[in-house]
Amino acid sequence: MYKENTVEDLMRSGHFACPGCGVAIAMRLVLRALGRKTIAVIIPSCASIIAATHPHSALEIPAFHGTFETAAPTAAGISYALKIRGKSDITVVAIAGDGGTFDIGLQSLSGTADRNEHYIYVCLDNEAYMNTGIQASSATPRRAWTITTPAGRSARKKNIMEIMAAHRIPYAATASIGYPQDLMDKVQKAKGIEGTKFLHILTPCATGWRMAENLTVNAAILSVETRIFPLYEVFDGKKYGITYEPQGLPVEEYLKIQGRYRHLDAGQIERMQTETDEEWESLYRHVTDCQRKGAL
Amino acid sequence: MKKQLMSGNAALGEAAVLSGCTCYFGYPITPQNELTEYMAKRMPEVPGGTFIQSESEIAAINMVLGASVAGARAMTSSSSPGMSLKQEGISYLAADELPAVIINMVRGGPGMGNISPAQSDYLQATRGGGHGDYRTIVLAPSSVQELADAVPVAFDLADSYRNPVIILGDGMLGQMMEPVSFDHIRQEKVYPKDYILTGAKGRPARKIHSLLFDTKLEEEHNWKLFRKYKGMEQNEVRFETFLVDDAEMVVIAYGTSARIAKGAIRRLRQENLKVGLIRPITLWPFPTNIIRETATRVKDFFVFEMSTGQLIEDVRLALEGRGHIHFYGRPGGVIPTPVELFRIVSRHYYQSQQVKK
Repeated sequence: MYKENTVEDLMRSGHFACPGCGVAIAMRLVLRALGRKTIAVIIPSCASIIAATHPHSALEIPAFHGTFETAAPTAAGISYALKIRGKSDITVVAIAGDGGTFDIGLQSLSGTADRNEHYIYVCLDNEAYMNTGIQASSATPRRAWTITTPAGRSARKKNIMEIMAAHRIPYAATASIGYPQDLMDKVQKAKGIEGTKFLHILTPCATGWRMAENLTVNAAILSVETRIFPLYEVFDGKKYGITYEPQGLPVEEYLKIQGRYRHLDAGQIERMQTETDEEWESLYRHVTDCQRKGAL
Repeated sequence: MKKQLMSGNAALGEAAVLSGCTCYFGYPITPQNELTEYMAKRMPEVPGGTFIQSESEIAAINMVLGASVAGARAMTSSSSPGMSLKQEGISYLAADELPAVIINMVRGGPGMGNISPAQSDYLQATRGGGHGDYRTIVLAPSSVQELADAVPVAFDLADSYRNPVIILGDGMLGQMMEPVSFDHIRQEKVYPKDYILTGAKGRPARKIHSLLFDTKLEEEHNWKLFRKYKGMEQNEVRFETFLVDDAEMVVIAYGTSARIAKGAIRRLRQENLKVGLIRPITLWPFPTNIIRETATRVKDFFVFEMSTGQLIEDVRLALEGRGHIHFYGRPGGVIPTPVELFRIVSRHYYQSQQVKK
């Protein structure tokens, strides 16, 4: 379905990511789908390590490294400058991690979404501050181990998609490195839409999730198939659509390959299953509501 | 208890707990993450201990403000870019006259910089850092043991003056491991917390505020703070001298660079070069008097710091033109070696000997 440049790799080898890095795979896919005419705003995150340190760069596109809390407004500023200079064929993409999106960057992200500034925001969610050494963020799921939640996190994972949908931005979608075709389709869809677009991509982290390096993509696939991280998109904050129908595997399949869930007992896994089912049902209600109203 | 091998960051955490800190609010930033990690594990063991990882540095410093208003011993920590975000909160703490301890494990800057040790936040720390006419006491330890020693001192200074206190370390002090003892840390003094907000049952309501629309009241408040800072300048200056008595050249350095300077001076002494060290332990209030006194006898002062020259401004103000200032700085996260400093200082030493002849 994607149209242009999808075979051109804009990320070179020699980046600084850990072996088996999910963020590196996601960046490669996002840049492939966006093509060469792209300016990236990168903030402190694993993505900034992958883009490498000055004067080196693993990216073949221009990239600006901004402050932690302002990926969104920096991208919006670049977008305005391009507009003034009449360069409408250049895409501006802000690439941030979950800490920079869910936590410290949420205020400025909300501001740009409220004004519907023209850029794509890509959140590469590895579910903790991995770059500083695995500290919990509000994207860390309940019960997951991190160094700042040694007994497992007590709060649930913040639903960033609902927050972004509540801004009624033209396009928001979840994507996974386990489904590259779907991911690149969504990136290209976002590229063709005017206004703020938000992509929430789950990028498993072998280092922080305490799992073998060859399991990154497996974990991504299992997160979708167990309905922990369903693939869906939201148009104008209202029209929900599921882009991949998951098998509905037991969540244990996903949890058992990760060391960060090693401390869970059968009862806790059972509760994780219940919580996942509830979230899925709530999402599915949104979708069926839309279908009933004939919105899609 | 026996000495333990600990990273500087972890030692800060343990010292804080033993000093009666019950509220720690952290946020990830390298190179201070070990402190957040330590507190996440340690605080649940403390009666009433609270560890919160906030969503930003701004939230963390304002949680400290809230905890301090309610009377708790509260602490937060960060590194250079995070400290920039905390400055508004520190200004409010100073204006509201609230005690707090804030740790800055400095890294290379400006901007994002890097994660290597640096001393480039000297001016930010010693000039207040945020907006308005205020000062914070700044302690500059130079070993893991001194980091642990500085924490109870910082909490006591914060409580006795009702003012934020900064502990200025760097990435090297924070992350290196050294033997450290906590035996001496005792929470002895009890401070009359007659200003905190605890509910007004049975007493008149209290108000803590820094919003003073009446310019005369704001002026009065500023002069009140000024008098407090003058008291700190008179009573809280701390410094260390090393081989200064017979010195013909005196190195002035703090923190990690003072440690490097000591290594260099030992080598210089082996070559019979009479070099000593004055090491400010409080960067604000600055040990002006000892430098001024030394200048009656010594003419050559050598400022050494891991920045392009910030401490040098205070040395210049202290000397008031009385001595000749030499300078060597390595900014950007570079850690000079004692051998490197030995070479530079000896060159300057010989040149000034030539001038004297």
